[in-house]
Amino acid sequence: MTATLLQALVSGLAIGGIYALIALSFSITFTTTRTLNFAQGEFIGFGAFLGVAVLYALSGSGEGGSFAALTPAASEGFRYPAATLAVGVALGVLGLLLFLVAVRPFAGKPGMSWVMSTIGFGIILQSLGLAVWGPAPVNMPSPFGSEVLRLGGAGVRPQEVAVLAAAVLLMVGLDVTMRRTRLGKAMRAVAHDPGVAALMGINVGAVMLGAFALSSALAGLGGMLVAPIASASLFMGMGIALKAFSGAILGGLDNPRGCIFGGFALGLLESGVALWQAQWREIAVFLLIILVLAIRPNGLFGRRALDKV
Amino acid sequence: MTIQGPTRRDLGRGTLAALLAMPALAGRALAQGQGQAMKLGFNGDLSASPSAQSGRAAVVGIEAAIEDLNKEGGVLGRPLSLTLRDDLSQPPKSIQNMSDLIDNERVVAVLGPTNSGNALAWRHIPNGKRVPVMGCIGSATDITKPMREGADNYMFRVGSVDRTQVVTIMGYAKKNPRTGRIGFLTETTGYGQGGLKDLVEVAQAQGLAPAANEKFNVNDTDMTSQLAKLRAAGVETALVWAQGTPIGQLMRSMEKIDYFPTVLTSWAADNLSFINAAGPRLAEKPIFLRTVSEDRTPHQQAFFERIRPRIDADSAFSFSVHGYDGTMLLARAIQQAGRADGPAVKEALEDLRGTLAGYAKTYDKPFSRTEHDALGAADQRWTCWRDAKLAAFSDEVVRGLRPEDFKG
Repeated sequence: MTATLLQALVSGLAIGGIYALIALSFSITFTTTRTLNFAQGEFIGFGAFLGVAVLYALSGSGEGGSFAALTPAASEGFRYPAATLAVGVALGVLGLLLFLVAVRPFAGKPGMSWVMSTIGFGIILQSLGLAVWGPAPVNMPSPFGSEVLRLGGAGVRPQEVAVLAAAVLLMVGLDVTMRRTRLGKAMRAVAHDPGVAALMGINVGAVMLGAFALSSALAGLGGMLVAPIASASLFMGMGIALKAFSGAILGGLDNPRGCIFGGFALGLLESGVALWQAQWREIAVFLLIILVLAIRPNGLFGRRALDKV
Repeated sequence: MTIQGPTRRDLGRGTLAALLAMPALAGRALAQGQGQAMKLGFNGDLSASPSAQSGRAAVVGIEAAIEDLNKEGGVLGRPLSLTLRDDLSQPPKSIQNMSDLIDNERVVAVLGPTNSGNALAWRHIPNGKRVPVMGCIGSATDITKPMREGADNYMFRVGSVDRTQVVTIMGYAKKNPRTGRIGFLTETTGYGQGGLKDLVEVAQAQGLAPAANEKFNVNDTDMTSQLAKLRAAGVETALVWAQGTPIGQLMRSMEKIDYFPTVLTSWAADNLSFINAAGPRLAEKPIFLRTVSEDRTPHQQAFFERIRPRIDADSAFSFSVHGYDGTMLLARAIQQAGRADGPAVKEALEDLRGTLAGYAKTYDKPFSRTEHDALGAADQRWTCWRDAKLAAFSDEVVRGLRPEDFKG
């Protein structure tokens, strides 16, 4: 029984780490621009496929296997970190593009055009991906191998540990950046009041661009981290993004730490409910979110009321 | 330099140009005879979901059959043509395509769809308009059932049938002396839950009772909680109904908690997505059924080599076989009826004379008024993965299975 509980805890933390990372990426754009990238799910899937493409290109012919079935050698050595870096940069650039064409023209204006335009951007991205790579999920080998590690009766794969570690490191790094550095202070100032921040000499446009680049890069990293666990698929991101968004709402969209908490809470809740009745999992998760929002409309740790336009 | 007549090279170029232009010229000739061309339609996912590769493979098979038929002079002296409609796996689009094919394109029969759910969403249309449909991919049991008891039914199929597969794997579980307690693991999609309904009914018919019945989500990457409950219930044989990727994740979760019951599963395990998720070592654990054995006959091998360059994966070959055989059976029925109107073709399909040597098997009265599935329990081939390749599976239980073991 202890082994079963421990297994649920380990599994919940592994998936919770990803939810938390993506929840944080939602929070970054929301706090600085009051908008969200509803294409975050497509960005995750696109990032994963881009990663597979880079690994395939790096491993050259032969030892790396085919595009649809990369061999473990394809992720060895510098290749996985290099691919991760490439995906982070590429998705960051994509985030800039998204902001320029699909968010900035509509941000701050009445109506919710940016919701539709970001969703549309995601659909375009996914369709492009389908045209290039096709609909079938493909394999991305883990750079840490696939042997199961045993922890007191529970089994965990190295990639799951890596996901958790990477997610925690990224989140701590971002937290420190936001609270300790000039850049972080500028971002928080823009979040607080763009008008005043601009008067204080902060380049608001650049901060907003940076927020979208960072948020999108995180989605790409999320895709790279999850792909060895879940297989890379252009459809993989939807479920993750929805759960992460729920986690962000649960924790409070405008509080980055709250979002991280929400993401982990959702992951643990999921694996906990599955111990009881797996088919009740989604029902339990979303009932809880509705309940929390009924009592605390801004999430558990959210402070400010949402803008009503 | 004097002006010369055409050199040998010029002649060669001219021939080459004519050869290159031939498909276009032939196409024009066909278009001119469009009044006579007999149109078949295909409606199914060709691009959007992971099952699109199955849809594309079926189309390759259908096109090969049409090519062969047209070489023999077509059907009733008319050439056949295929009109494709991609439904992007969306039911509303699929319904729209169906009306378009029947009302605007005036096809004599439709093949497809890729996704079972779409067939269930539109089967009232061909039944209402009396146009035969030949399924070759979607495997849901209810697709070929009449809309109501005794109603005219225009839905036929050459392909896998969930119920038939469940009956066959349950027969294996019943016959195997090492089966022990059985447990069900199913995905919460329509596909998984349709399979669960069949599993429950067939288990009852064969006198087996599951000790555990667990479900998981199609996108889950960790099923350790569900597996822990199966283990706690003492399950030694797990019957799994899900798509390729989640079955692969299930095998990985089994390794995490070091629990390996005998796994009997749906044919989705033949998909590349399964071995991609499970990895080559864990992929060797489950056994499942296909309609085309990996020990191909020379006849099948020749077809395989002919179409392999045009399909996405070896494992999609069976869909090409279904598409080819289904088209051939339709052509045979039209020939027998002497005309191409729906009710006549349906009558002929239900009472097909003579035998047809197809690629899945030799068809002898494949359909009747009540039976609209051409492939049954006896046509299932046991399969597993070995060294990252599909392989025929056999053990003493498989060899000992008799027709009377397939109850339900």
